[in-house]
Amino acid sequence: MTASDRVDLVGLGMTAMSTTPGAAPQELAREAVDLALADAAITRADVDGLLVGSSQGIRPDRLGVAFAAQGGFGDLRLLEHVEIKGATTIAMIQRAALAIAAGEARTVVCVFADAPLVAGRGAGSTYAHSGGQSGTRGLERASGVLGSVPTYALLAQRWMHVSGARPEDLAAIVTTQRAWAVDNPAAVARTPLSADDYLASPLISTPLRRLDCARPVNGSVAVILSNDVAIGHPARLAVRGTGRSHPVRHRRAGAESWFGGGRRAVDDALEHAGMSRSDLDLAELYDPFSVVTLMLLEEYDLTGGAKAGTFVRAGETGPRGRLPTNTGGGQLSGFYLQGMTPLAEAMVQLRAEGGDRQVPGASVALVGGIGGRLDHHAALVLERAA
Amino acid sequence: MSAGLSTETSRETGTMTGSDWLLADSLAPIIEGDVLQPLYDGAALGQLVLPFCASCSLPLDLEQQVCDGCGGSDIAWRRVEPVGIVHAATMMHRREPGLVLASAPYPILDVELGSGHRLVMTTADAELSAPAIGDPVHITFRDLGGVRIPSARPHNPEPTVTTSTALSQTEAPA
Ligand SMILES: [Zn+2]
Repeated sequence: MTASDRVDLVGLGMTAMSTTPGAAPQELAREAVDLALADAAITRADVDGLLVGSSQGIRPDRLGVAFAAQGGFGDLRLLEHVEIKGATTIAMIQRAALAIAAGEARTVVCVFADAPLVAGRGAGSTYAHSGGQSGTRGLERASGVLGSVPTYALLAQRWMHVSGARPEDLAAIVTTQRAWAVDNPAAVARTPLSADDYLASPLISTPLRRLDCARPVNGSVAVILSNDVAIGHPARLAVRGTGRSHPVRHRRAGAESWFGGGRRAVDDALEHAGMSRSDLDLAELYDPFSVVTLMLLEEYDLTGGAKAGTFVRAGETGPRGRLPTNTGGGQLSGFYLQGMTPLAEAMVQLRAEGGDRQVPGASVALVGGIGGRLDHHAALVLERAA
Repeated sequence: MSAGLSTETSRETGTMTGSDWLLADSLAPIIEGDVLQPLYDGAALGQLVLPFCASCSLPLDLEQQVCDGCGGSDIAWRRVEPVGIVHAATMMHRREPGLVLASAPYPILDVELGSGHRLVMTTADAELSAPAIGDPVHITFRDLGGVRIPSARPHNPEPTVTTSTALSQTEAPA
């Protein structure tokens, strides 16, 4: 091999994103890995590290470290199941990059697969029936907090109250991201959407409508990292910087308990990269709900001081805007595959493979990940190598 | 986001009968041995009981084991005044069949209690709308499958009702 000091993302594989029940996570992961290996023009024999990620929860078919054998890998030097909720994908990239830099592995596959859609029940119903009857979550569920939407609705109401954001700001995020998704063949919702269409969407939990919520899919994405310059896709994407922030908030008077404390992840990633916010050509943020994109644009200081709603309504996150954001439609109109959604889109854009949604000249991308109730923030700066 | 799925549906099948205005009995917490049992024991007596640091009296999260203020690990569950103000509020329109009995959207409130704790709850009775952020509420209890659950009763804004002036120091109405 020909080693480099740099760790690059050299392979990307994505299954079709299905909105109907079908294959198990292991089958989806196997397919994504095959596609990523082909994309990097290598075989399993070239891989000495495997990181797997999956939805949390009690799932007998959840993807785990047994995938090394299930997926046909040979002996490995690095094998872990990474779990930090929605920050998992970037945590996997960090883990892989550190292992490669330390000489503990050379070429690492990171794969996430999920199959929340099961026969006989909608995703919303599945989420509503999960959570159990113990502890704080049990008390909340006994108070009607079913699924994840009402919690994010409370968070949205509180943040909008504090920040002055308005419902039309939510509409602007949703319609802008849908406009991006129209040109993304991998997106599950590609019909153009007007503000009136948005207002016709049924309320789930005020202020969130159905169209404010992510679209769960059954699918998988795999990526490959390596410092071997002899392998990989011709468009090489360097891991320039990573950062994490895990604000520990409490549910008590005197401070906000639903948000705040995430900016350091982006600050650290940029510092690590030796870059500033003005170097970013695009941002791919984790957006399980429309309000989260608004919050994160402000929390991560990506609007140049403008209110996020003003920034979005001015078209700054759309095509030709100052910071094209969630350019594949995000998790709202693209697909909800947790942290892999923003990472995959950043890779497509930096490879200049975005087709009609391509951001011209995109060379530096910020990728974000959040987990829990905005308890975990992860940031990744990628750059297309010259 | 937390998108965890579980297969814990064993008690969520069966009938929709219940004493609560909102939810099926199958959603009643299992309180025996639960980390929140002191809260439920207090609620059974009609009292709102919440955790504090035994050393420095900081109000703690419901499952907190070590005080972030002083490092103490002795938790004291104490009765608090059943009053608070609305910190955030939503009307839940999605009503999951088999779990939600109500036939109309229902409120979910994040209430900041006079004690300093924040607690998510619904209302004691059906309401047509959610109170606004900053509105005062009284805490009472719903009966869900034999378990009493803290719930909010919005203040009737009649001049004879006195509201806690101490609460207005933590958050002014919107
Ligand atoms: Zn203390």
